[in-house]
Amino acid sequence: MFITKKHLSRRTFLRGAGVTLALPFLESMVPAQTPLRNTAAIPKTRLGCLYVPHGATMYKWTPATEGKGFQFSETLSPLEKYRDRVNVVSNLCHQSASGADAGGEHARSAAIFLSGGSPQKGGVKSGITVDQLAARRIGQDTPLPSIELAIEEVSLSCGAGYGCAYFNTIAWQTPTVPLPMENSPQAVFEKLFGDGGTTEQRLARKKEDRSILDSIREQTLGLKATLPSSDRARIDGYLDDIREIERRIKTVLDREAQAVNKQSVPDAPVGTPEAFEEHVKLMFDLLTLAYQSETTRVATIMLAKDLSPTSYPASGNRGGFHGASHHANIKANMDNFALINKYHISMLAYFIDKLSRTPDGDGNLLDHSMVLYGSSMSNGNQHDHDPLPIVLVGGGSGQLQGNRHIVTPAHTPMANLLLSMLDKLGVHQDSFGDSTGKLEI
Amino acid sequence: MRIFFTVCGLAIFTAVLTAQQPSSQQDLVSKYCLTCHNDKLQTGGLTLEKVDAAHPARDAETWEKVIRKLRAGLMPPSGAPRPDRATLDTFRASLEASIDQAASERPNPGATALHRLNRTEYANAIRDLLAIDVDVATILPADDSSEGLDNIADVLGTSPALLERYIGAAAKISRLAVGDTDIGAQSVTYKVRGDLTQDDHIPGLPVGTRGGIVIKHNFPVDGEYLFKFALLKVNFGPEYGGASKGEQLEMSLNGERVALLNLESVPYYYIRRGGGNANAPAVPLEIRLPLKAGPQTIMVTFIKRTSAEVDDLVQRFEATTADLQTGVQFGYTTVPHLSGVEIIGPYNIMGPGNTPSRTRIFVCRPGSASEEPACAKKIVSTLARRAYRRPVTDADVDPLLNFYRAARQNGTFDQGIEMALRRIIADPQFVFRVERDPSNIPPGGTYRISDLELASRLSFFLWSSIPDDELLDIAAQGRLKDPAVLQQQVRRMLKDPRSDALIGNFASQWLFLRELKNRNPDLLAFPDFDDNLRQAFQRETEMLFESIVREDRNVFDILKADYTFVNERLAKHYGIPNIYGSDFRRVTVQSPARRGLLGQGSFLTLTSNTNRTSPVTRGAWILENLLGTPPPQPPPNVPPFPEARTGQGVTEVATSVRDRMILHRTNQPCKGCHQIMDPIGLALENFDAVGRWRATDSGSPIDASGQLVDGTALDGVDSLRNALLSRPDAFVGTMTEKLLMYAMGRASHYYDMSAVRTITRDAARNDYRFSSLVLGIVNSKPFQMRIKKAEETQ
Repeated sequence: MFITKKHLSRRTFLRGAGVTLALPFLESMVPAQTPLRNTAAIPKTRLGCLYVPHGATMYKWTPATEGKGFQFSETLSPLEKYRDRVNVVSNLCHQSASGADAGGEHARSAAIFLSGGSPQKGGVKSGITVDQLAARRIGQDTPLPSIELAIEEVSLSCGAGYGCAYFNTIAWQTPTVPLPMENSPQAVFEKLFGDGGTTEQRLARKKEDRSILDSIREQTLGLKATLPSSDRARIDGYLDDIREIERRIKTVLDREAQAVNKQSVPDAPVGTPEAFEEHVKLMFDLLTLAYQSETTRVATIMLAKDLSPTSYPASGNRGGFHGASHHANIKANMDNFALINKYHISMLAYFIDKLSRTPDGDGNLLDHSMVLYGSSMSNGNQHDHDPLPIVLVGGGSGQLQGNRHIVTPAHTPMANLLLSMLDKLGVHQDSFGDSTGKLEI
Repeated sequence: MRIFFTVCGLAIFTAVLTAQQPSSQQDLVSKYCLTCHNDKLQTGGLTLEKVDAAHPARDAETWEKVIRKLRAGLMPPSGAPRPDRATLDTFRASLEASIDQAASERPNPGATALHRLNRTEYANAIRDLLAIDVDVATILPADDSSEGLDNIADVLGTSPALLERYIGAAAKISRLAVGDTDIGAQSVTYKVRGDLTQDDHIPGLPVGTRGGIVIKHNFPVDGEYLFKFALLKVNFGPEYGGASKGEQLEMSLNGERVALLNLESVPYYYIRRGGGNANAPAVPLEIRLPLKAGPQTIMVTFIKRTSAEVDDLVQRFEATTADLQTGVQFGYTTVPHLSGVEIIGPYNIMGPGNTPSRTRIFVCRPGSASEEPACAKKIVSTLARRAYRRPVTDADVDPLLNFYRAARQNGTFDQGIEMALRRIIADPQFVFRVERDPSNIPPGGTYRISDLELASRLSFFLWSSIPDDELLDIAAQGRLKDPAVLQQQVRRMLKDPRSDALIGNFASQWLFLRELKNRNPDLLAFPDFDDNLRQAFQRETEMLFESIVREDRNVFDILKADYTFVNERLAKHYGIPNIYGSDFRRVTVQSPARRGLLGQGSFLTLTSNTNRTSPVTRGAWILENLLGTPPPQPPPNVPPFPEARTGQGVTEVATSVRDRMILHRTNQPCKGCHQIMDPIGLALENFDAVGRWRATDSGSPIDASGQLVDGTALDGVDSLRNALLSRPDAFVGTMTEKLLMYAMGRASHYYDMSAVRTITRDAARNDYRFSSLVLGIVNSKPFQMRIKKAEETQ
């Protein structure tokens, strides 16, 4: 009576992806032949921020030439195919990651990647991050304002006197509220699309939820009349919550009913893939679905955590990630470390490729995305934070050019780039973190 | 606040006058208080210029502030003229007497806002309703806290996101409880902390094993499940302890071994599952088994190969994983550590099985289709009565049965019940604690709550859960208001294991034990600190509190018990000899310094920074949590505390924390409050940041001397403890106030303080037994009554 579910392979999962979700932004909603930007329905940019720890071998990373039509470096070569959408930004630094105690270099690196804030030892305090500021602006009309993803498990032990929050997330909702990151594809799937193994199950449960909510609303109205007047405001709030959930369910069910190409979300994945590559690609597949359906527009992802011992045999380097980054500045070791950097970039290339092949409005998702990728370290061997390996990919809904290697003046704060990104996302402020100004991007 | 600091500083320079007995209370106020607390200065936000000390009940809110400071001996401040203790005590007693007299004539019991069950209460209620333990942390978000408690109704708000989670939880829990066989495989991972030392026995695991984890997992249905084991890795890639030979990983199910996996060491320092051809691909560390539905105990651990003393070239730390790099360096003997167990399933479902939850839900089984409606009604009525905490009528049950019928039409009887259950758990009458004002009471009027409301208050106070059938029956019969019956119920409930909530939920919040898991002392400074020690700290304090609850002891034992609970790890940390093994046992405390909370590692670590002690934090913590007088927050732009710079490649001449504090304190605006806090914390300087006894700090001998505001001289932890004990009203009043807030689910207000004093006075006559505080609260006006609020407050 039950179908045995093995680990879901990515390929099974992918079946039909691309047109899998009942799209919220239906083609029928856009007048035929009208370029999207001329209609009222201007697409909102999707923001993705990807973090890798431990820096990179910079001489293998930095392109040899500057400006438009630059020459791709060895490490970045997997991105060359999407050159028109790629910006390499060189010479940025994250000085606030440096500090007196060497043990904190890694903890601070993750914590400040997207804020340029100053994390403090002992307590839990850093800075609000760029993704969360963006979520306030472009994430309020989606079911989830933002989603936080990781590949590795939560660290439950963190040395050097810094709380684990500094290692476990790069997203901070406020200076004191770090957002936990989810690494289980199953949990991510449920968060995005609901509870249930199959589309039928999920829709059936949503319908059941709807009738339960309907019944509860009536019940609550009856209850309200009997409550002390001082409690009625609270019950009114609760009634509003019920209506809001009913609205969300209705949206999902309506989408399903109207979908021309009525293909559904694939079955929920079970367990966590053992292999890094399969895991990462599954998360990117899920994120693409989330972007496409506008379940959320804002995402942060940690490809690995600081001090990660993960090894990536497929990269050609068999050592652990953190160990390999301590290459003692020996050329052979540094070359070898660059293999891991390139391997990670090939994961980014997979994501970029996926976005570029997913239609969205009058173009594709890559046209309407802004994907930041990088590290808060430069040379991981000595825990340098200057100059950082950073790329920015995507069309940003017409806000971002591509095919450029932008070389900023030496020691330009990374926060300047973050500030400019915010600008292009419609969040206008004069400064951010330790920024000294905006960057022309 | 800044005004407060400055003026307290100035007060030191006022002329020292000889204290004389004032002719009246008002004279006393004029003489000793008005210098600072006048209309112009309003020091600390308080003026006593226009209030009448002869009629304190008229301005009870103001005078309660005065009483609070006097109770802890904090006013007048150091350096200012001060009458003798007897005069101040008499003054306080007279203020209290008039306020209490007025309060007994016209009590204000207050009112708690509509109260949503918090995460803990929700989980306990589900446990008692359905005989099922759910991992609530994965299905509901954490609750906000206020007053250091997470059950304060005012901050237990709702939001669409929260409601969505509650609706989702109802679906998940009802599916699990009924044993729905139409479910997909799910994965649950149980993690082992990376700082758990696993070279020796862990409490709860079989003798002869080392390391590992005990898991109580609820299997939703009869079926197959996959168990995957992960080993800890060092941060350079390979498995920790990978060079160790002949290691075996054991899994047992309810005490029976079901798997023994040989671990084979592979050069260099990798591990693979052994037994096969060395050249064959590695076999994953996993096992798939058919299992029965319901709660089962899984133990995953390593066979302990040797207990021989390890004679390494390099000194070993207690914390095996203090530096994970040692796992791959020569000179250390290391063994593999478990990092997690993932359970995935079910596969090949064989049926719903026979679980405690099914037994609890299905109070009848229909023999034929014609018996179904009556049986469904019986099941649903029984569940609804417990869930809504009151007798139910057809009007309550009929809408629930509609859900049963709708689901039964398209499915089985069980699925019909599951749907009705899902509707019950989602109901606001389950999720909220509803209390209703009688219509015949005018706004502002007070009244005694109903017996059924009292039953819920009682069960949420003592059990953090719903009433059981006995309590509900008595309340429904209207007998709970009978004081004898009420007392008998309280004593019964305190004996019931569900009252563990007073330890795990109340004490762990009051004493901050929940925070311990987030504390990570700097491993460069404290390389012996591991999770085993952290857990032992928590267990010790919990067991002390537990002994006070279970043995109905004097609550001052929290401060002065001459016994404590240790295992080998903790005894070694404290320097207590001859304690072996991982089990905890009660021992007599030989060293007076270690008596009670002030000598316990939990409190001492919680109030320290990661790499040094923080006398300020310790002092402020005691003022707030043991004396009920929290110091104000520091003003902005305070210069940072001068840290000793230590660590890799940094050397600097270190000075003691005391010396650096004195430097810090010369800053004038800080002085006023620090004069109160610092001596308290400095008296504990013989305990380092992880609670070890020490005679020196950074080379200087420890100087634990100081003086409290009331002039009491301190020279260490014993004198500090005696000083706290010499003001019993402050400690027991603070504990009672906290317990009352917890019981009521609301912050305390000035009008509650009369009730607090009544409770502590009665408790004093009963040797301050724990039950006397609990009974005092249960019999208090705030607990048994309610005020009808005039209008909306939100």
